[in-house]
Amino acid sequence: MRKKFLGIAMASIMGLSTLAGCATTTVEEAGEAEVDTQAAASEESGEAKETTEATEETADAAASTEDGSSSDSLTGNGDKTLHVFLYMQEHEKTIYEDLVKKFVDEHKDEIKEVVFEVTTQDEYNQKMIANMTANDMPDVFYVGPAAVRSYVDNGYILPLDDYVDADTIGSVWGTTQEIYRYDGTNVGKGSLYALPKDLSCFAFAYNKDLFDAAGLDYPDPNKPYTYDEFVEVCKKLTIDKDGDGEVDQWGVANADQWGMTPYLYSNGVKFLNEDMTKVNVANNEQLKEALTFYTDLTKNGLTPSVEQDTALGGYQRWLDGQVAFYACGTWDVAAFMDNATFPYNWDLCGWPVGPSGDGKSHTWMGSVGYCVSATSENPDLAAQLIAKLSTDEDGQREVSGITSGASIQLPNITDLAYGEFKDAVNSGKVPYASNVDVIFGYFDGNDNYAASLQETDYTYNAEWFTPFWSGVFNIKNGDITVEEYLQQVEPEMQEALDEAIELQNSATK
Amino acid sequence: MASKKQKIHMSAMAKREERWAWLFIAAPFVGFMLFMAYPIVFALIASASKWTGINSLWGNMVGFRNYAKILTDDKFWKAMGTTIIYMIGIPIGMILGMLIAMGLNRKIPGKRILTTMYYVPVVSSLVAVSILWAWVFNYDYGLLNGIYKALTGMHGPNWLGDEVMVKISLIIFMVWKGLGGTVILYLAGLQNIPRDYYEAAMIDGANSWQKFKSITLPLLSPVTFYVLITSLIGGFQVFVEVQVMTPSGGPNYSSATVVFYLYEKAFTNGQLGYGSAVAVILAIIIFIITAINFRGQDKWVKTID
Repeated sequence: MRKKFLGIAMASIMGLSTLAGCATTTVEEAGEAEVDTQAAASEESGEAKETTEATEETADAAASTEDGSSSDSLTGNGDKTLHVFLYMQEHEKTIYEDLVKKFVDEHKDEIKEVVFEVTTQDEYNQKMIANMTANDMPDVFYVGPAAVRSYVDNGYILPLDDYVDADTIGSVWGTTQEIYRYDGTNVGKGSLYALPKDLSCFAFAYNKDLFDAAGLDYPDPNKPYTYDEFVEVCKKLTIDKDGDGEVDQWGVANADQWGMTPYLYSNGVKFLNEDMTKVNVANNEQLKEALTFYTDLTKNGLTPSVEQDTALGGYQRWLDGQVAFYACGTWDVAAFMDNATFPYNWDLCGWPVGPSGDGKSHTWMGSVGYCVSATSENPDLAAQLIAKLSTDEDGQREVSGITSGASIQLPNITDLAYGEFKDAVNSGKVPYASNVDVIFGYFDGNDNYAASLQETDYTYNAEWFTPFWSGVFNIKNGDITVEEYLQQVEPEMQEALDEAIELQNSATK
Repeated sequence: MASKKQKIHMSAMAKREERWAWLFIAAPFVGFMLFMAYPIVFALIASASKWTGINSLWGNMVGFRNYAKILTDDKFWKAMGTTIIYMIGIPIGMILGMLIAMGLNRKIPGKRILTTMYYVPVVSSLVAVSILWAWVFNYDYGLLNGIYKALTGMHGPNWLGDEVMVKISLIIFMVWKGLGGTVILYLAGLQNIPRDYYEAAMIDGANSWQKFKSITLPLLSPVTFYVLITSLIGGFQVFVEVQVMTPSGGPNYSSATVVFYLYEKAFTNGQLGYGSAVAVILAIIIFIITAINFRGQDKWVKTID
């Protein structure tokens, strides 16, 4: 008797706390949580697990609301519900929310409600882990190329081939058609599991005003510099402007974590072997050559020193007009076009090409895709929604700036990118670097340009690469030679890679 | 037996009251089970697995393998060493705090304003003041090096970019941040010491050093004990300032603490099982250190009675 009462008391407290957490979530979620609570209560002895998870989850949602996440629900007259959970910037959210509204209007008779929940990227991963642990997945969420394998192996996401027509799939960049395929063994082949939210790459940019001041010709977008040419140009752009005996303008600034690999890739460097099981660093001649070139830029004073770098990063120095070349992700373009942020003329160019590669300028690309939960009750509707978010022409015109004049990302649809978007760039309707072909070259590949995902995108985590980039400053400082460094760092990298492979293999239920 | 009999004869009113009593007991009990016991048990289980958050927890149990690996994990021990080095700041903070408290424990003008000023860092957001100090320590544009250059004409040290300096910088920051709390505690402790002790000592002809050594110091020992325990526990849990000032763990991982390492493992590299094992080891260490402290307190902690 007493036990039973205790059970009821526990359940009621749980219910109360669940409800308290629900104040900031949608009715839909509250409903789910309540069902769980009742289930637990009816089991009397208080199988607390489910309830706990539900409570934790709602508490989580409430907490993240304080941190700037938000959810909005859009309603129709039908009986189907969808829960969309994404991370986005505030201005992106407005555009995509309008798209969802349009979608709800188009499917008014089917849809009862679409919950559109958006949070920050940091919050997102932790919340997704909570969702997975609680076995309560949203209908639509993100998957990165790196996660496709484990999401599929663990049965979290659905293949889209049956739901999305081939024309839609074929309309996006070739890269994004490839990286979300998986056949159970290899990524890049088999069924398609996601449609791209975007495709981005890490291009190179130069400050035109500094070139003008030095009386130099601009880089040729159709012929990227060789290593040697690049050093010569950088030498001419590294100067002491105010004559106080200290250099205050440099040729280039590099951030080791993200901005080093394009130099190395452009010399044919690969850190891992073909099947990504062995680190190939210690006896990698191409890497030795490229890393020597890269670190010599700093040793020879063509970049700010390591100490100067800790004081003010390359990005700030670029914005301040202190360096002539700097990396430019596609996501940086809008900021660089903004006169208040970057009051200089600039344009895009390719990363310098090393002597031992394939003669092309290489960089890395990034993407995130929309996928449909394997547990979704309305997979068809969810798939139609992601097709809308990914490839709706009006939506793509809006996010790429063709209609809005503010480019958040490049269009996913190739025809739109090469057609209307380029026209809008040329006519000045979209503020964008005029050498946008450099980016398209990286996306699609041509005689001068090529790009791939980072190798860390194919391994379970990026831990094996951390020892490499985080120690490179020791070479720049002259504390260790390139050769010694590569010998020293390989075992540590291999150990972390082995761990990642083990985790990858354990990622199957 | 007696209680059972009593219960049978309980009035309806008493029964109702008993029910309410259970409900009141349930509130903290459920809270404890949900937010303490469950996560602790969960972490213990996870620490014996290769759980990644994505895969199944029960399908990837590996026993004590995570623990075995931690014992030979260089990065873990490096982070542990750094964590312990940071604790140099604890005695420094205690001595400074006691001195300032004694200075403030007199009738001087502006005493309240001074106390408030010392306490401001304690109530400020840790993230905010960490960002602030990252700029104070900045190599080229920082306040400290600005002063240094004005005085000596030379460029100051690379506070956050050098393996040794970064530790000194963080110790300076932690002492600054914690000082106000220590001062307030010592001030309260000082005000609890009865005046007549000092008067008696004065009559006996004791000088100020003897008064400090034989009255103040021993009677402050309960406060010292409390500050020591909380600082040691807090010292093992340092994370935010390291994450904000040196997001990649400092040059050659020289500023990373155990909790920083744990966070990186669990949330950057998706090794939630391994991270849990690090957390369990940390909890055990904190438990042992605290237990030793409590055992040893009889030897030096004195109370007025």
